[in-house]
Amino acid sequence: MIEVENLTRRYRDLVAVEDLSFKVEKGEVVGFLGPNGAGKSTTMRILAGFLPATSGTVKVAGFDVFDEPLEVKRRIGYLPETPPVYPDLTPLEYLRFCAGLKGLPRPAVAGEIERVAELARLDGVMDRLTGSLSKGYRQRVGLAQALLGDPEVLILDEPTVGLDPLQIREVRELVKSLAGRHTVVLSTHILPEVAMTCQKVLVVNKGRLVDYDTLDGLIRKHLPGRTVTLDDIAFLEEIYSKLVEGPAAAAAALAGLGAAPGTAREVAP
Amino acid sequence: MRAVLAVARKELTAAFTTPVAWAVLMVIAFFSAQFFNGALDAFRFLSLRALQLQNPGLLERLSLTERVVAPLFGSMGLLLVIVAPFLSMRLFAEEKRARTFELLLTAPVRPWQIVLGKYLAGLATLAAALLIVALFPLLLSFYATGTQGGAGVEWQTVGTGLLGLFLLGAMAMAVGMFVSALTESVIVAALVSLLFLLSLYVVTLFTIGMEGPVRELVLALSASDHLTSFLAGRIELKDVVYYLSFVVLGLYLTDRALEGTRWA
Repeated sequence: MIEVENLTRRYRDLVAVEDLSFKVEKGEVVGFLGPNGAGKSTTMRILAGFLPATSGTVKVAGFDVFDEPLEVKRRIGYLPETPPVYPDLTPLEYLRFCAGLKGLPRPAVAGEIERVAELARLDGVMDRLTGSLSKGYRQRVGLAQALLGDPEVLILDEPTVGLDPLQIREVRELVKSLAGRHTVVLSTHILPEVAMTCQKVLVVNKGRLVDYDTLDGLIRKHLPGRTVTLDDIAFLEEIYSKLVEGPAAAAAALAGLGAAPGTAREVAP
Repeated sequence: MRAVLAVARKELTAAFTTPVAWAVLMVIAFFSAQFFNGALDAFRFLSLRALQLQNPGLLERLSLTERVVAPLFGSMGLLLVIVAPFLSMRLFAEEKRARTFELLLTAPVRPWQIVLGKYLAGLATLAAALLIVALFPLLLSFYATGTQGGAGVEWQTVGTGLLGLFLLGAMAMAVGMFVSALTESVIVAALVSLLFLLSLYVVTLFTIGMEGPVRELVLALSASDHLTSFLAGRIELKDVVYYLSFVVLGLYLTDRALEGTRWA
């Protein structure tokens, strides 16, 4: 569903993303992991067609993001890092506006807004000005916007920021329920979230891909001989710090990976 | 077209939810009332003088449209140039600042649809402002009668005057929108477009004492000089072309500026 090949993005002399390649199959939920400034948001912005790549290609559902942006954008629901909401509009007005932007068929708009409002738990705030809502609600309005029109691919940049623990659980359930029918790429700092919602994990550091595998694959590779269950979150922390913090460990992992991450799973022990 | 209207509608909702549009309309209402009163006073003074001089010919030639409406519209031209940047400043700069720009650019729409939607909303606000100005000739027509009977206000001249003001405002809006697309700061957007538009408007000051082709050139560039025939009741092609070329250029450049973000 998503094919990224040799993606590089530079901001003047700063390299945000370097030679990133990965593939996401249809129906997969992939978690983007990495420290701040690792290039997660930049990659997502390129996927959504907001930023151009300096080099490399990005394809969504077979369409090149740069050559056929409209085809790609029609298939993507995107929640940026900062929820793109207008303080002067109510969530209802805002979602109507987004429905118009996305060109949803007119008769379906009211029903569709009701559907996403329920998914994002917006009941009770639909007629209040977004500017007066709490950060968590604004985040949920942004999420509702991404879900509008039921797009095939969802790109969620830190979807649970600003939410309280219970809301985080709701969003987690929501993402899980999307798996299978939708392809989801989400970034987060919260490791339990990755363990609970994502089938695959993509770890980036300093703009480079460090590892890309299923959770089980990561465990086998980086904690050989240990038996861990997915309920036990600590293991992911261990793998993450190994990959991101320890330069020796990261270098070793990278050497083991080779250039093509697609083959990494077979190469690694 | 659907997306264009969605953008226009959102823009109008936001403009009239925040105090910006209301403040601009208030400024227009206040100053047009002042200018109207001033022009009316001047007219009264003039007609009294004509009576004192016992000059019925002069009295007969005194036209309300020419002496009251035209000066009012002339002053409104300057006022429009001053307030239009405050209507256009938010169009794109605010979207960039609030990071909602990402929503617009990742929606399945082409940049020109966003540009056109925002521009139409700007024109609608402008039209609301001109509606306020149009109230004054209307007020005048209730009390005034012509010397030979008939209407005291020449509606054609009022119409062409309003058209001229609208074109001037449309130009200001297009220029302001382009500037707004270049910056993240609303204040910078307002000030830069104000500087540009005001310079074009008052450039005629430099023609005092000028002669020959330079004078012609400066007059041809002036936004206020192209308004004069509209105020006198004439629609001239060169004036229409002048304003419309700024509109087209502004829209085109804004579209390019948005498209440019896809490449840089």
